Formats: sequence, structure tokens, C-alpha cells
Amino acid sequence: MAGVWIFAENREQTLELLNVGRQLAAEMETGVSALLWYDHERAGDYISHGADEVLLLPALPEDQSLEAYIPVVVAEAKKGDPDVFLFVASARGKELSARIATRLDTGLCSNCITLKYDKESKTLEMERLAYGGAAVQKVTCPARPVMATIPPRTFEPTAAEDGRNGHIRELSAPPPSVVKILERKVKAREAKDINEARVVVSVGRGIEKKEDLAIARELADVLGGEIGCTRPISEEMHWLPEELCIGLSGVQIKPDLYVGLGISGQIQHVTGIRNARVICAINKDENAPIFGVADFGIVGDLYSVVPKLVQELKKI
Amino acid sequence: MFFADEVEKRRHAMPTIVACFKWVIDEAYIRRSSSGELDFSSVDYKISEYDRNAIEEAVRLKEIHGGNVITVTVGVPEATKGVKDALSRGSDQAYFIADASFRNLESSQTAAILAEVIRSRIVSYDLIICGEGSSDLYAQQVGARLAEHLEIPCISFVQKLSMEGGRLIAERKVEQYTEITATPLPALVTVLPEINSPRIPGVKDTLTASKKPTVTIKKDELSPIGEARLQTTGISASRMDRTCEKFGTEAAELTRFVESLRKKGAIR
Repeated sequence: MAGVWIFAENREQTLELLNVGRQLAAEMETGVSALLWYDHERAGDYISHGADEVLLLPALPEDQSLEAYIPVVVAEAKKGDPDVFLFVASARGKELSARIATRLDTGLCSNCITLKYDKESKTLEMERLAYGGAAVQKVTCPARPVMATIPPRTFEPTAAEDGRNGHIRELSAPPPSVVKILERKVKAREAKDINEARVVVSVGRGIEKKEDLAIARELADVLGGEIGCTRPISEEMHWLPEELCIGLSGVQIKPDLYVGLGISGQIQHVTGIRNARVICAINKDENAPIFGVADFGIVGDLYSVVPKLVQELKKI
Repeated sequence: MFFADEVEKRRHAMPTIVACFKWVIDEAYIRRSSSGELDFSSVDYKISEYDRNAIEEAVRLKEIHGGNVITVTVGVPEATKGVKDALSRGSDQAYFIADASFRNLESSQTAAILAEVIRSRIVSYDLIICGEGSSDLYAQQVGARLAEHLEIPCISFVQKLSMEGGRLIAERKVEQYTEITATPLPALVTVLPEINSPRIPGVKDTLTASKKPTVTIKKDELSPIGEARLQTTGISASRMDRTCEKFGTEAAELTRFVESLRKKGAIR
């Protein structure tokens, strides 16, 4: 037995992992199995998007969380002996994968950003970021299965193909976990989703007071974008909600344009913008590290530059 | 382990709380050489950021419920500085598993070593707290793996924690919502930075720290350490190839700036 297995929390993530899974499976000459726990009607949809097999996990009682599936998934993996087991790097995906990797006595590449199969050595070479994003760590996993968590939006979703066939198989119900869910609180979103924004204007410590966020907002408005921030602005000053915090431990964005205002360019923040198409920075410190990772930089005081820039942009 | 009399027993006892930490390179000191390679020659070390939240949370719970806080770390002998730092942050006792070969342990190895020491030396603990990930490699695995080795419940990414009537109530952050969980003790949690603000030790704390007991455990007192399940084949500087073009603040320069954005298709 063999194969590439994937586990995600929703359709979007599943299609992204199916994309990676399909490519690897083709090179490894094996199949792809998708685990599905949330919406069993999706099984056919996933087969047409590249799964050869869908393993259905029975729905859980209200007071149970995903970790209840661990014993069932582990038992199935021991039987099926997959070559590769990919998880979405969501909060629960990270915990589940680390616990399953321990039970399968194998390695796990967390927050994996590239995977390359070397046919000759039959090794999967993976890359991830380390030291707050300053370094790329290359890893391999000599044990089976090779496990990895992949951040959402790292890969494009796969497209559907006509006439694909696959199996659907139901797994057994797990025993209840001792961890009980007392309540689920849906977080009221305080801001728009900056993942979707085409332009993001981000603010850092160079902003002196909360009212001055209006300057950034005006620039974002004229560019048709949203605003984001560095960790100190959301976590320490509480001027903006945490979902706008961009960085390694916050949101990683891929806009067409990123404009950093009064941002020094600490590596953790920069890691969150490395996939922006164009990076701009406005900072009065000409030695700020942000200029080293920006396409275009303006060395100047944001308080005088931004209003002038807004006027210039309005001319268009 | 999770029977009602166990919960009843823990309802009245003062808890033993274990906080794990890692002594890491302070990434702010990593330089790039002129050829773009990573330069670790002038680095300093620190207790990993989120592990400070783990220690703080253990001390905070002790201040409410009494009991004692034990900090545990696996690392190179130089990490003794970190052990002192942890004690000055309010822990009562430390276990320091030290060996010169522990510089590049992989998550699976660290978790196995911690598990062996906690199982054999600490034995009767109620709660283990870890940071959500280390600030050097940020693999975010040791906490979850440790819980598996000890066969205790694990709740990751916790932003609020309390102990009520022998149970642990933990609020964990899952993408779109938060889950409020109840778990029998003993259990393990990993905490997010927003759970608290770690205290900054004062002179008095540092002085008291040197009087607190530290148990040092050597590699030969442990079972043989297994192979790394994940092998690092290279670490190199991450590259961000950008044009790094600079502009002035005069009107003509701003016009040229906007023109450049347009040429790149960044503005429509």
C-alpha cells in the first residue's frame, strides 16, 4: 500500500492540497486519498478534483473536536502505509499532524512551502522558513510516511477534470476524547479580510498616535485597498484588530501592491509580505531594513509624504 | 487516569505546574554577510519568546492556586543562563537536561527527552505549559508530541486558561472561532503570546533565582536518543530579490514614484 494522503478543514484548502498531492502522486506513481470529515457530499467533488479515494470520517458529537479522530486516522495510516501525508497548516491541522506523527514515529515538516520529489534517490525534499523568516531550512524525512503541514494559499487550487473515478470509503467512529468542547464562540470580524485585498497599506511604529491611522486609510482608499499593521500596532497598542496583523505569526498576504508606512522591516513582518508582487516603503530612516526588501522606497517623513502622494494619485 | 476520584483528589490539592522552554538564538542578531550568507558570529541567546508566556502563565496560576512551578529545558551547557532567567521569572525549581550535543535537536528528539525526564523525575504533575512554537525554528511540534508521549490530553494555541474544580478550562483559538474546552488533569497546553504579558525580572528576582534548586541531568542518565525523524540538509539565507529603488520627497520624485507603480501594474 502507498499513496499521498491529505487532510484539510474546508474545500478551498482541500483543492490546494489536491493540487500538490496530484503532482507528487504522478511523480511517485501512486494515488491520492483525501480525508473528509465535514461535509460528506463533497466526496464526488474531490474525486473530480484529483482524489482517487475519499476516506469519510463519521461526524462528531457537538462536544467533540477534531482530535477525537486521531486514533482512527492513525489506525488507518498504519494499515494503508501512505508514502506522504499532507495537512493544512491551520491551528488544528498543526496539532493533529504533530500528534499523528508522534504515534506513527515519523517526521513532520511544519509550514512547508516547497516540496520536490527526487526520483533517483526517491526522496521528498522540502523547504520551510526559519529564524523568523531570515532563513530557508531544507529538510528530508527518512521515516514513513513523510509528513508536512502546508499553509493555506501556498498552492493554487486544482481544477476539476471530467470522467474521473474514485472510491469512497467510510471509516469507523472514534471513541470520545476526554477534551470536551463547552462552547464555540464565533469571532466577530472587526475588519475586512486583507487576504483578498489587491492593495494593502500597512502601518508600523512610525505612526505616532491612533488618530493618525486616518492618513494610512486615506492612502488605502485612493489605492482601492485595505489597511494592515505590524504586531506592535495590534498586540501592544491595540489600535487595530489582530486579524490585520501581518507577519510570520499573523496573516501572510499576496497583494499586487504593499505599501509600508513607518515600518522598520523586522524579519517577522517581512515574512508576511514576501509574496506581495510589488513592495513599497515610506520611512524617514534611510537605513531601515524595509528598504532592502522593497521594490520602491521613499526616504521621508510619512506625515508629509503621504498627503502629497495622495494628491499625486488623485491626479490619475 | 481520568476517573472521578482523580478529579476529586485534584480539586483540593495545590497544583504542580511544569513550564517547558527553549534557549534560542536571538534572531535579531543574525546578520547577512556581504555575499548574502547568514552570519551567526555575533548572535546572542534568549528564552524563546512564547516560552516566556508559558512560564508567566504557570506562575500566574500558582499565584491563584498555590502549588509550585517547575521549569524544564533541554539544551547545550551554555543554556544555564536561560535556566537562571526562568527561575528569576518566578519558577520554584528547574530541571536542566544538558549536553554539548543538544544544539540541533529535532522536535521528535526534544519531546522524547522531555517526556522521559518528566515521567521519571517529576511524576506527579497537574499541568504542562509550552509556548506555541520556538522563535528559532518554529516547528510548533514539541508540545503536542510531548503530550502524546505522556499520553495526556493536549490543547494547543490557548489564549485563556483557568483551573476550576480539578478541571482545566482552556480557550483555544481556531481560525474562525474560539473553542472553550474542559479537560481533566493532568493535561498539556501550548499558549499563544496574547495570553499574558511576561514580567521583566528585577534585581531581587535575579538574586532569589540563584538560591533556587536546579537539577542537572546528563545525557548518560537518559535512554539512548533516537535518530532525528526530520533531517536538516541545509540552512541558507532567504532571498527576496527586489529592485530596492529609492525616491526623494520632492514633487517630481513622487510623480516618478507613481509612474513606476503604474509601469509595474501595481496601480490601475
